[in-house]
Amino acid sequence: MANPLVVPVSRRNVLRGAGAALVAGGLGACAPGNTTGSNPLPTSTATTPPSGELTIWDRTGDLYKVFDKAIASFTAKYPQVKVNHLAVDINAKLPATLISGAGVPDGAFYDDALLTGVAPHLHDLSRLIEQYKSDIAPYKLGVVTVDGKVIAVPWDLDPGLLFYREDIVTQAGVDPASLTTYDALLGAARTVREKFPQAKPIHLENDQFLAQLWIDMFANQQGGAMVDAQGKLSIDSDPYRKTLTWLDTVRGEGLGTLAKYTQPTDLQTQDNGTQVFVPWAQWFAFVPQQLLKASKGKWRAAALPAWQAGGPRAGVMGGSSFVIPAKAKNPELAWRLYEHLVFSKEGYTTVYGSNEVYPGGLNTSIPSYLPALDPNAPLFKPIEALGGQDLWKVAVEAGKQVPGGYSIPTWWGKAVDYFGVNVQKLLAGQMGPDEVLKTSATQIQKNLMGPS
Amino acid sequence: MVTVTEPTATRGEASMIRRRRGGRPGRRGSRRVKAAPYLFVAPFVLVFAAFSAYPIFFALQLSFTNWHGAGALEVIGFANYRFLLTSPDFWQSMATSGALWLLVVPAQILLALTIAVALRKARFRGLFSAALIAPFVTPLVAMAQVWIILFDQDFGAVNHGLTSLGLPAVGWLTTSAWAKVTVALLVLWRTTGYAVILLMAGLSTIPSDVYEAARIDGAGAWQQFWSITVPLVTRTLSFVVVIGTLTVFQLFAEPYVVTGGGPFNGTRTAGLYLYKHITNSDLGLGAANSMLLVLMVLALSLASIRLLRSREDS
Repeated sequence: MANPLVVPVSRRNVLRGAGAALVAGGLGACAPGNTTGSNPLPTSTATTPPSGELTIWDRTGDLYKVFDKAIASFTAKYPQVKVNHLAVDINAKLPATLISGAGVPDGAFYDDALLTGVAPHLHDLSRLIEQYKSDIAPYKLGVVTVDGKVIAVPWDLDPGLLFYREDIVTQAGVDPASLTTYDALLGAARTVREKFPQAKPIHLENDQFLAQLWIDMFANQQGGAMVDAQGKLSIDSDPYRKTLTWLDTVRGEGLGTLAKYTQPTDLQTQDNGTQVFVPWAQWFAFVPQQLLKASKGKWRAAALPAWQAGGPRAGVMGGSSFVIPAKAKNPELAWRLYEHLVFSKEGYTTVYGSNEVYPGGLNTSIPSYLPALDPNAPLFKPIEALGGQDLWKVAVEAGKQVPGGYSIPTWWGKAVDYFGVNVQKLLAGQMGPDEVLKTSATQIQKNLMGPS
Repeated sequence: MVTVTEPTATRGEASMIRRRRGGRPGRRGSRRVKAAPYLFVAPFVLVFAAFSAYPIFFALQLSFTNWHGAGALEVIGFANYRFLLTSPDFWQSMATSGALWLLVVPAQILLALTIAVALRKARFRGLFSAALIAPFVTPLVAMAQVWIILFDQDFGAVNHGLTSLGLPAVGWLTTSAWAKVTVALLVLWRTTGYAVILLMAGLSTIPSDVYEAARIDGAGAWQQFWSITVPLVTRTLSFVVVIGTLTVFQLFAEPYVVTGGGPFNGTRTAGLYLYKHITNSDLGLGAANSMLLVLMVLALSLASIRLLRSREDS
């Protein structure tokens, strides 16, 4: 009986066959393609009940649990929809997934600061968002708009607030209500240190990414941004100079604790009273609630001080939105889900309502959807770790003051290697404010923007 | 496999030869092959072609383009290479990897060889081997978090130990020089056990009568180590050096988790620098960076092997 495997085949034919199989089967899928989605989005909100299956990525940790519950409210409303909700290290995985086109989710939660870097791979949501545009915080609308297209469903607003240790401030004889300008804050820090010599009252951020985000909050508060309305580099400007000069004063006078957010030094010095003032985004509220022990209940939040008396007392630090990849299999369902979570009262009250991580409701940000920002209709309860303070009211008032007209350049994430690092050097006393701004501007222009 | 009829053999002999070779008769002069060997190697060839050869050639092609993951490839010649070779950031990342190589690889070889020799005749070798390999298989992120806590400048156990001995506290994670040492210590902690296992395997191939003969000739422990052990495990050492070199120049996760590449980009390794191109969707630049990295690692590995081989030859 002839062995079926022993078939006379010429060597050339074998090679031809292998090559053809390789090209036809394997490589075609790997080749770079365009980013046009095979399934287009509707041009306006559909009226038929959605059905089908979709895959959603959310950040691992507390927010995954928060959104899991909120997604359940969507599937309860639309039982024909099945949502595969996955906890993923999105910042690490999404860019590569969008490029490869393999295993692309139908929707994903993503940092606003990184949005512009993946913009070419996302669905243009402009027509769908149009009906809600006037109800979205101007700052947020600017952030999710790239080249005139809305590329993400705007999620939260993260107003900067001044967190402070109420017990220490009071013992030092400082009236928290007097902290209305950054000069006043500097004076309060000096007063606190006179009373508590071990104190280095003001937080100085030592993580290069967060430091850049932090400086941008101060700049945003003054109406500044890394690029102007024409897209020209505007980092070497007054808002940034004023911010860095102030931080350099804090460092020079030994009034600051240099630490990375939530790293051991940071938490220990917040708990033991070395750090007293933390100007940070609302999401710092997570720290006293989940990470601090000795100082839990002793922190309070107020509006940021103003750079000039009577000036704006709000800026934004961070924030996230929902993206729908152009290669999503079921973008329409993803849109319906996000529309439910962001623009329906049922959706946003579920997200911000009580859950197992935040029994009093999600209080680390506020919605960017303005109808949800009613100071008298709080979405989350007062926070015990902040001494029972009504953070909702403070955050909403700050959120409504956030200056608009802000845009994030496509190279924002890459600039961390230059501006973020130079800010680190300033906080370590290795560079002055002017040197940071001029060096960063030169580096960004040369390496990220090209010749102007 | 080609079956050729030998012209000098008789018809019967030729038939016997064909049978011995497992062949079957074919047309005279034609080049025939059997499918079976090709089918057996086909899965490997396909996987290799799809996941190794094609990506390498595609990366090479990409390195001459400006491509951000969408749209057509824009060919820009050697611009990516020119940009990298004139970029202080690229050279700083290479210098950081070079510094880490100096901190890790020689220390790893010394440590691993010492431990492997010490364990050669030790009791409970299996237990020791398991203990040594444990850091290699422990999830890196968990280990990195422990490292961050241990090496915290103000509240870490390491500085606490130093100050209790009257020594100054060190900015393990806050100064660029010491941050390299901290990352190097983590790499050493994680990978030395694996090198020990490799060297223990190498040592087990040395016949015991060689040592016995040396002892009879009056050689001491040091002479035995230097004149027998080291030369006879040179090939294993070469392998460990190459693996160590590859590990250090591709080092990404340790600095990513422990320092984020900081402070002041002081621990931004070649691997981390490359990663940033990819996450920033600068795929052409990233591909060019990979190609340069391959050349560097290849040169360094070959130089290390040559150095060790020259010792083996001498």
